[in-house]
Amino acid sequence: MPNIFSITTSALQAFQTAIAVTSNNIANASTPGYSEESINLVANPPQSSGVLQVGDGVDISGISRAYSQLAVNQYNTSQSGLGQLNALQTYTSQIDNIVGTTAGGLTTALQSYYNAWSTLASNPTSTADRQALLSQAQSVASSIQTTNGQLQSLNTNINNGVTSDVKQINALSSQIANLNQQIVAATGASGGQPPNALLDQRGSLITSLSSLTGITTTNNADGSVNVFTGNGTALVVEQQASQLTTVANPFNGQQLEVATAANPTNIISSQLTSGDIGGLLAARTQAVDPAINSLGLIATSLSQTANSQQSLGVDLNGNLGSPLFTAAGPQAAASGNNTGGATVTASLIVNNGTNNATSTGALTGDNYVLSYVGSAYTLTDQTTGSSQTLTPSGTTAGGGPVFNVAGVSISLSQVPSSGDQFLIAPTAPAASSFAVALTGTSQIAAAGALQSAAADTNSGTGTIGSPAISTPYPPAASVLTPYNIVFTSPTAYNIVNPATNATVSGGTYTSGTPISYNGWSVTISGAPAATDTFSVTAGSSGNNENALANASQKSLGVLQGGTTSLSSAVNALITGIGSQASQVNTAQTAQSAINTQAQQSVQSVSGVNLDTEAANLLQYQQAYQAAAQALTIGNQLFTTLIDSVNGTYS
Amino acid sequence: MRITSSMEQTLFLAEIGTLQSNQAQTQNDLSTGLAFTEPSQNPAAAGEVAQYNEALSQSLQYTANANSAQTSLNTESNALTQVQSQLQSLYSLTVQANSGTVSSANLQAIATQAQQIQSSLLALANTQDGSGNYIFSGYATQTQPFTATATGAAYNGDQGQQQVQIAAGQTVATGDNGSAVFNQIRSGNGTFAVTAASGNTGSGLIGTSSVTSASTFATAQASAATAGPYTITFGAPAGAPASSYTVTNAAGTVASGTYTSGQAIAFNGIQVSLSGTPAVGDSFAVAPSTNQSLFTTVQNLVNALTSGASGPQLSNALSGSLANLQQGLSQVSTFQSSIGGRLNTITTQLSVATSQQTQLQKSIGSLQGLDYASAITTLDSENTTLSAALQSYAQVQGLTLFKYL
Repeated sequence: MPNIFSITTSALQAFQTAIAVTSNNIANASTPGYSEESINLVANPPQSSGVLQVGDGVDISGISRAYSQLAVNQYNTSQSGLGQLNALQTYTSQIDNIVGTTAGGLTTALQSYYNAWSTLASNPTSTADRQALLSQAQSVASSIQTTNGQLQSLNTNINNGVTSDVKQINALSSQIANLNQQIVAATGASGGQPPNALLDQRGSLITSLSSLTGITTTNNADGSVNVFTGNGTALVVEQQASQLTTVANPFNGQQLEVATAANPTNIISSQLTSGDIGGLLAARTQAVDPAINSLGLIATSLSQTANSQQSLGVDLNGNLGSPLFTAAGPQAAASGNNTGGATVTASLIVNNGTNNATSTGALTGDNYVLSYVGSAYTLTDQTTGSSQTLTPSGTTAGGGPVFNVAGVSISLSQVPSSGDQFLIAPTAPAASSFAVALTGTSQIAAAGALQSAAADTNSGTGTIGSPAISTPYPPAASVLTPYNIVFTSPTAYNIVNPATNATVSGGTYTSGTPISYNGWSVTISGAPAATDTFSVTAGSSGNNENALANASQKSLGVLQGGTTSLSSAVNALITGIGSQASQVNTAQTAQSAINTQAQQSVQSVSGVNLDTEAANLLQYQQAYQAAAQALTIGNQLFTTLIDSVNGTYS
Repeated sequence: MRITSSMEQTLFLAEIGTLQSNQAQTQNDLSTGLAFTEPSQNPAAAGEVAQYNEALSQSLQYTANANSAQTSLNTESNALTQVQSQLQSLYSLTVQANSGTVSSANLQAIATQAQQIQSSLLALANTQDGSGNYIFSGYATQTQPFTATATGAAYNGDQGQQQVQIAAGQTVATGDNGSAVFNQIRSGNGTFAVTAASGNTGSGLIGTSSVTSASTFATAQASAATAGPYTITFGAPAGAPASSYTVTNAAGTVASGTYTSGQAIAFNGIQVSLSGTPAVGDSFAVAPSTNQSLFTTVQNLVNALTSGASGPQLSNALSGSLANLQQGLSQVSTFQSSIGGRLNTITTQLSVATSQQTQLQKSIGSLQGLDYASAITTLDSENTTLSAALQSYAQVQGLTLFKYL
């Protein structure tokens, strides 16, 4: 006869455990990473009692958790994507805000600066108008510097973020390795029963790690998992965690990069494309640095054009104008990993003509890496990724090559070792040091350097045009020496120094053909008569030609090969950053939805439904009550039997 | 799909978060009155607005430049109007002096008046604008352009002419230099000038002279054999009667003939009319015009009036002055009409700029300005959605089996 007591006892034990599992589910309904657990009940095999097969109660074969590896993997991937976009969005929206306000101020300041030149042109000797111009120039400079300062502080924040991310990744890797160890031990101790709580805990650590950097995982037979970064760098292998570390960028000590602690020269930053750390690194290379470089390009171009125009005019003191703005030149650095001893210098290629447009037309806001491999020099644009092989245009004293490329002249002190690399950032430093160089209002060169006149006593019909500086930029002060062009006949002229009356040059006159001397050229046309005299002298104080030329630089194409004006470049910077921020916002919203979806999938499988638990609780409670009832009945049966036996004896 | 208890919560939170951020954005739009405050909200429009703002600022600057040019040109025009009236007075006085019936006392009075006009002309040529800049000194605005000399006035300025930009690609000169206005005046009739030799003893009077063929005259000047200056000598060659004349230049005789009073002597494309009776040996110089300063003309007139000369000598000097004053008057008129033209250009440009500015402001408003009706409607619907979401969550949250156990 089957043992009613053992059957009911097994049932009571089973339902007690089932109620405990259900209670645990209810208790953890809000625990992050918790997977709903369920009890697995099996019927005990019957104990043979003759022909009839009556079961022998119930047994707990195990407690399993609701878990889908596929859903979790999808969720982890979406976490990495979201982490990346969240970090990127933090920075793009800050830059958006910075350029929308302070650089928006730059548009206004730049316009006011050109307007101040235009106003000065109406009254070139006015001290008030000159002061207004200097103030506007100051406001352009401070607008560029402030914007740059705010962008630079974002880079500091990125460094801090990278450092903190690397610390967290290391801590999580260690914890996962530790849990691997515990899981392997617990699985062994329980004879193969899964340690559900530990697995859940490890799962949520892996999810946390996913939001910091993109990862892939592989499962080992002993229950441990291996964790790798997106590019395959191992973070956890079985029970061993590998650490990451931050190292200074070999070209720029101010920027932190990520490397493995085992091999700090192996920088893996460029391979970390997702997760929070990927977002931080992308913000630096795709948003902050390009914005700083673009601003630097604007600063470089403004100082080049304004300064060269200034050098083509005379100030109130009668001197050729000195530079209006100062801006630092290109940054050039050798990699800290170079084995050769070559040092690198770079300078802007200053235009040789008088057309300022070409001086900065070849410049871009991109950074370049010059590599020497074998015997070939390759220049790679870090923004576009395009490379070109360079041919030296000269040699330095130490035997190193000189390259003229992208508006910059690059010189190496000597031939580097194969594999050496050099960074050239043509415009990166310009914005931070951009300032007004002039201190006094009288130093503003509003007047053209030279002007001409025909003597009133001339009897011929010759007219003289405006003299132009034809000497290479910048002209020497001697260009201001006055000279007279005196006609000795209708077809011949002498150039006479009016101070000494000495004839210094002469020539044959052809109407409309420029006459050049002492660094200027001027055109006389018509029919001058003998003894007719024309003069070329330094610009008078009321001359406004240089002020007009400065005002017209506003629409002068000085960038991108002479096609883009400074104000369009500022507008392009603003709209470019706005578009980028808007794209990132859109992508973040989409990724957010994907992430919620993936999280819902995981929750749908592993989450606790309290209604289900309530129903289970009722079911197990009733089953428990029924089993207890069965025990009572068994007891009564036994008592009946005992009583009847007792009755027989009594 | 199986719904678990925490899903309801996360879904609700995500939904509420989106709704609240949309609501905050709409509220921000309404409180700033701008359709976008950061470029990322509408990059294309932000770029356009920046461009329009720039064009607007540029246009306002052009307007300011045009207004300043208008002021300068009006100052110059006023000065030239006064120069004109002074010259007209001087011309009338000269005509009066040349009437042949003026007593020497009256001549003296006329000379005094002429001297007054001379100094007032000099003052007008040295006119300064509101900022103390001389308007007739070219670029040398800080230098007084004219200083009196024994022969008229010396010009100390230069030939610069300030231009200001009043529209894209359009500049206008805000003034004229003193050299162009007062000094570069062609003498005589503009082509040539006739003067009587100071030692003439006859009663030969210079009449009107004219150009019959400008091209013949110009061709003659190009060749040394026929080029001026010329001298008309009466009673030449030696021994000939006073009515016989020759026209000579540096190369030799150009023309000759017999003189009849009132009849023109013609050669090389010009004709000189003389009247009266020249004596033997009297001569008249015919020289191609050169630039003669207005101040030299006036000084010569004052010299003639105060020289004590009379008769044909005074008359010939005065008629030379009249021709030169006539040239001066026409020069001033030329500049006046040029200024008028420039002022017209500015006025046209100002009205173009005004309508352009209105247009730009409208465009900026339509891009950047908030559509209040639509924003308020959006806010309203966002509020409704948000309150519905909150209410539904509260209701769904209450639905649990445990409540019924």
